[in-house]
Amino acid sequence: MNVIQVKCPSCNSPIYMKQKDRLFYCDRCNVMHSRDEGVERIDFEVGEFSPNAQGDRVFMPFWRVYASFQLRSKSVEGGSLYKLASWLKGGGDSGNLFIYIPASDLDPGSFRRLASQLTMSNPRYATRLNFGSVPRLPVALSKKEAAELADFVVVTMEAEQPGTLQQLDYTLTVNDTKMVYLPFVRSASGLMPAL
Amino acid sequence: MAGISVGMSCPACGGALNIEEGETTSICTYCNSTLFVEGDKGVTTIAFRQKLLKDGATASSQSWWKHGWKARDLKHVGKITEVYPIYLPFWKTTTRVAGWICGYNERRRTDSKGNTTVERIPKEESVFQDYVYSEIACDPGDLGIRTMKNFMGETGFTDFEMIPTFEATTSKDDAVSRSKNDALAKARAQAHVEHVTFEKVHVFSKALTMIYYPIWVVRYNYRERMYMDTVDGVTGQVLSGRAPGDPMFQSVAVTAGTFFGGLAAFAGILLGKNDYRIAAAGVVVGALILLATYRFFRYGSEIVQGEFKEKKSLLGGADLKQLTNVTKQLGGLR
Repeated sequence: MNVIQVKCPSCNSPIYMKQKDRLFYCDRCNVMHSRDEGVERIDFEVGEFSPNAQGDRVFMPFWRVYASFQLRSKSVEGGSLYKLASWLKGGGDSGNLFIYIPASDLDPGSFRRLASQLTMSNPRYATRLNFGSVPRLPVALSKKEAAELADFVVVTMEAEQPGTLQQLDYTLTVNDTKMVYLPFVRSASGLMPAL
Repeated sequence: MAGISVGMSCPACGGALNIEEGETTSICTYCNSTLFVEGDKGVTTIAFRQKLLKDGATASSQSWWKHGWKARDLKHVGKITEVYPIYLPFWKTTTRVAGWICGYNERRRTDSKGNTTVERIPKEESVFQDYVYSEIACDPGDLGIRTMKNFMGETGFTDFEMIPTFEATTSKDDAVSRSKNDALAKARAQAHVEHVTFEKVHVFSKALTMIYYPIWVVRYNYRERMYMDTVDGVTGQVLSGRAPGDPMFQSVAVTAGTFFGGLAAFAGILLGKNDYRIAAAGVVVGALILLATYRFFRYGSEIVQGEFKEKKSLLGGADLKQLTNVTKQLGGLR
């Protein structure tokens, strides 16, 4: 067991953070990295708050998985099958999509709700250069785990269509994974998106 | 929650650090540097504080003697010879299961003419849940304790030097592997899809903790025979134990069981002249009663509570299940 001071892999400056996090952010050169399996720079972007956002502001981390989905066959009992084409780019039974995986430590219900909502309807937002003085929730999910959960989200979206899913033969290939910090505000009913 | 911490120095300022086992990152309280733990990080370790005193453990044990099918004179004749505390190590894990299990269940219906139809009910079940698992991290011997029953309580290591502690001897990797299998099995059971046509389930290990839990061991004497039970050092509940049975209960059970078992079989045969299923059901119910009677007679001389490796249930759970399945197949008890 050895303890080292975390330094930015880009500018070698020591990193100072107020909370424990799986991702380390250098506010001098705006570089984020992880150390789960060696030092790895993490591609990330930060969403801008809506000008009307009221309440305490916070950034919530999401792994945005860009994946190729190919559906080979499926079987559904009852109901009419909604085509994945409505949310897949390119139409048909295969295409590319962005899957949003909440990366902070959420309860299963919130995780599923946010993942489905944002994947079904990808958020549109302007980006900002850095976090400024707004706090961010720590990341609890690794990039590898996010890729596995992307698979779960895709099956969830298919299963939640009308009818009862009986068989699904598909491939999901992860092309790229990016960390996206989306703006939220704290309200009486919990964290609410503030895009 | 207080844990075992490893004393080190901050590589930036030299200040003393207290990094809890299992942590990967830390922040120096002196210079605010972010620190990363390389190499074997160990496992987060906590200990529950003993809340029950010796008198409480004795009282819990004596109260346990009064309940169930134990010897009626145990509360008067039983004599406690030794009461001492120990710390037992447990692995505790939290495992998240995320996935879908699809398929169908079948329901059989029989109309008045005896025609049976099978209805297929399609099912798609989502599983997204965190499962908590625990197992003892050492050889429990004949203590009859294998899992934790309580996860609430004050934690701290102040009692550690005064109470004998069992060392953890089992592998954490094996514990994680078993916890994943356990979570998957629970998720499948929860989904309750009898015929699975599609399954896509992901299992993630979210947390692993080593917990030291205080237990009171109570040894007692009953008619020159030694027995033992264990009492939870936090909640005061009896966790496991062996106690003498009562010969009178065994005799009564044999008499009553034989009578009612025979009566059920006879009634089944009598009423089932026109329908063999009623007769079969009566015979099976009678056999079940006789089996329970036999088990009580066979093992009733010692009452056993807890998670013993080869625990003989008084009612023989596995045998009962097997017989119940036979009955269901005959269509008698459904």
